[in-house]
Amino acid sequence: MQRLDIRKSRIFILVAMLLLITGSVFGVRAAGGTLKVGMVAPKVLDPALGSNDPEVLFNRSIYDYLVDVLPDRTIAPNLATEWKVSDDGLTYTFTLQEGVKFHDGSDFSSADVVFTFQRLVTVKSPATNLLGEFEVTAPDAKTVVFTLKAPNADFLYGIGNQLSLIIKNGTEKPNEIATGDKPYANFNGTGPFMLTEYKDGESATLTKNPTYWKSGQPLLDSVEFKFINDPVTQVNALKSGDVDFIFKISPDQVSGLDGAEGISLIQTTTNQHPVIRLRTDEGPGKDVKVRQAFKYATDRTELNELVLEGRGTVGNNDPIGPGYAAFFDKDIKVQEYDPEKAKALLAEAGYPDGLTVTLQTINVLGYDTLATVLQQQWAKAGITVEIQVNEEGFYYDDSNPNNWLKADLGITGWGDRPAPQGYLAQAYETGAAYNETHWSDPDLDMLIQEASVTTDETARAGIYNKISDIFNESGPIIIPWFAPVFSASRSNITGITVAPFPGLTDLRGVSVS
Amino acid sequence: MGITKQPMASLTSEITTQPEPSRLKQLLSTLFNVLKQLASRPLSLIGLVVVVLFILMAIFGSTVAPYKFDALIKGAARQAPSAAYLFGTDKLGRDVFSRVLWGAREVISIPGIATTIAVAIGAIIGMATAYFGGWIDEVVSRLLDSLLAIPALLLALVMLGVIGPSPIGIVIVIVLLYVPIVTRVIRSATLNIRSSGFIEAAKLRGEANWYILFREILPSVLPALTVEAALRFSYAIFLTASLGFLGLGVQPPSPDWGRMVNEARESYERTPWALWYPAAAIAVLVIGVNLLADGLRRIFRYEGG
Repeated sequence: MQRLDIRKSRIFILVAMLLLITGSVFGVRAAGGTLKVGMVAPKVLDPALGSNDPEVLFNRSIYDYLVDVLPDRTIAPNLATEWKVSDDGLTYTFTLQEGVKFHDGSDFSSADVVFTFQRLVTVKSPATNLLGEFEVTAPDAKTVVFTLKAPNADFLYGIGNQLSLIIKNGTEKPNEIATGDKPYANFNGTGPFMLTEYKDGESATLTKNPTYWKSGQPLLDSVEFKFINDPVTQVNALKSGDVDFIFKISPDQVSGLDGAEGISLIQTTTNQHPVIRLRTDEGPGKDVKVRQAFKYATDRTELNELVLEGRGTVGNNDPIGPGYAAFFDKDIKVQEYDPEKAKALLAEAGYPDGLTVTLQTINVLGYDTLATVLQQQWAKAGITVEIQVNEEGFYYDDSNPNNWLKADLGITGWGDRPAPQGYLAQAYETGAAYNETHWSDPDLDMLIQEASVTTDETARAGIYNKISDIFNESGPIIIPWFAPVFSASRSNITGITVAPFPGLTDLRGVSVS
Repeated sequence: MGITKQPMASLTSEITTQPEPSRLKQLLSTLFNVLKQLASRPLSLIGLVVVVLFILMAIFGSTVAPYKFDALIKGAARQAPSAAYLFGTDKLGRDVFSRVLWGAREVISIPGIATTIAVAIGAIIGMATAYFGGWIDEVVSRLLDSLLAIPALLLALVMLGVIGPSPIGIVIVIVLLYVPIVTRVIRSATLNIRSSGFIEAAKLRGEANWYILFREILPSVLPALTVEAALRFSYAIFLTASLGFLGLGVQPPSPDWGRMVNEARESYERTPWALWYPAAAIAVLVIGVNLLADGLRRIFRYEGG
């Protein structure tokens, strides 16, 4: 009986495979179906401001980018078919796709692009960090010209930033649910799906845009986002088939999904990393010797083994990781682990009997576990830490007097950025908004500036190597690892390529078979 | 005034109240009686034994434990329970058996201290409001009633958000939560006896208020107080564990059982034992304390009528 069933199913699979192969030969893809995504409930729906993964995934399914930043960080045409950069690097001219319509039936034109990018500035969208200062004009309906104040090697990453979604000219309150018979009129994008139902804190249903400009796409009939805030519940929902796709799975749960029946585990290399950092303007981290001591006292290999089960890439002392193939220095000398040397350095710095300090951390991404192991490692070097685990939102909240920018010693989570400048200019340059270590090194500032205007990749890699050296010598941070992002889908889902920033995952080519 | 009056007061009480051997002796014999009655009911006996065992664990657990609670045993992560690691090891290679033993101290001491304070304050306020009555009673009772209306966990979350997660924070939260409850119980117990003959007699003798409160009323409400203390203790253990589970209690690497359950939750599939044992410890302790409280209530109801 058993055997017969297996044979039957084998035949079935064979037939299915044959159909699939012939189908793809004739250019017919198994289309249709509904993809059910399990994710944390979005809070900020405004496409210019909703910056976490679920918010971006929701918005990028309804709206389009001018250019797409692909998972391998290359830039591809989207609503813009081509672009030209002037020789001085100050003028970018984009040509727009024709025949594109918004969900309300109106035509897409250059005015929408101008409105979108001007609005990013007025609402102070984080997208402007990568865009820099610019002016935007529309000489005609299918051309847009950006004029930059200063050369910016990462400008296109700003154009394709997860928040740079094109909205309709004049939309004051995008993604605000309206009263009346058209509640979703403000969710007016050109994107592959249209919002048909939004239940706050529960779910959102999107249906296929029948007149999508990219022919043959999207493949799916609809997408359903199910809002599940608890990570364990998300995994259970995937296993039971309640959802087809989840992303950002915590390291502890990955092994339980690895090889599970009917589930494909997806691993994406990213530059996401914890920053173990000391303040440089107050507390023990003022002394460079103390910073060095912490570096020697940290056994990164053990951290990676215990907390990530060896799945991460062991980091060094700077944020330029393996996510940047062109810039990551694979030959860099990895910081050695030597608690005795750490002790000696501490003694030189005036702490012959070791030192005691509070370690602030957050309650997600396994960072509380990371802190627990660090406590044990550092104890061997005479560093006594008391762990304080903070709720993530509270730790990053501006109104919290002891937030992440104030802590003497803390662990901060830094997500993936399309380019190293996303970290350097935001967190390590003198006076930068997120300079949590309050570090100020004129040589470093100069190099960061230089890198921002250097378009030549080899030259830029050279600058980043110099920057890494400064981080090694006197930097206030330790990177235990660069973490891969884990996602998982039901095995019958095809065409999912998870982006290093999972919210940027493109659902247009996804189908259910 | 109180000082000059005291010798006379105790003198008159010796003469006028019904003959009693001595307060201490009476108390001891009551205690012995209670223990005897507890032992005679199997369920109460189980409760008593469990509570005693856990208290012993809190006192000696750390000395008996084979490892320190935060020691990472090299190369021994995710070991199933065995002779070497009775309860297995967690994802970091910490001995779960040792952690459960070490944890008893925190799990029992924080709720224990908090319950003691709450019961003491609640008893005083409860007796005083009922005894004095009038507008003080009205004001204090309404005030405490309004505190009672707030859900326990919600108040705890808000308060710990403000004062920050720490053992002292938990004690403050539990005291604030339980003082109104204890006050209410003791107040109604006091109201029942307020107009009894022996109180009236003490008043007529001209006893000081504190004397009436602590020497006349307190012994009478002691049964109710004991039952209430035991019940509050069991709830406090549960609340502390819940807060630990939510990450609002003590900080890592503390072996608080609630926190251990939380930490083991995500890796449950691979190291289920790291969740089972602390969870079982919480369950057994809470059930034990409840059985004991139940036994006490039965005894006192029979005695006090």
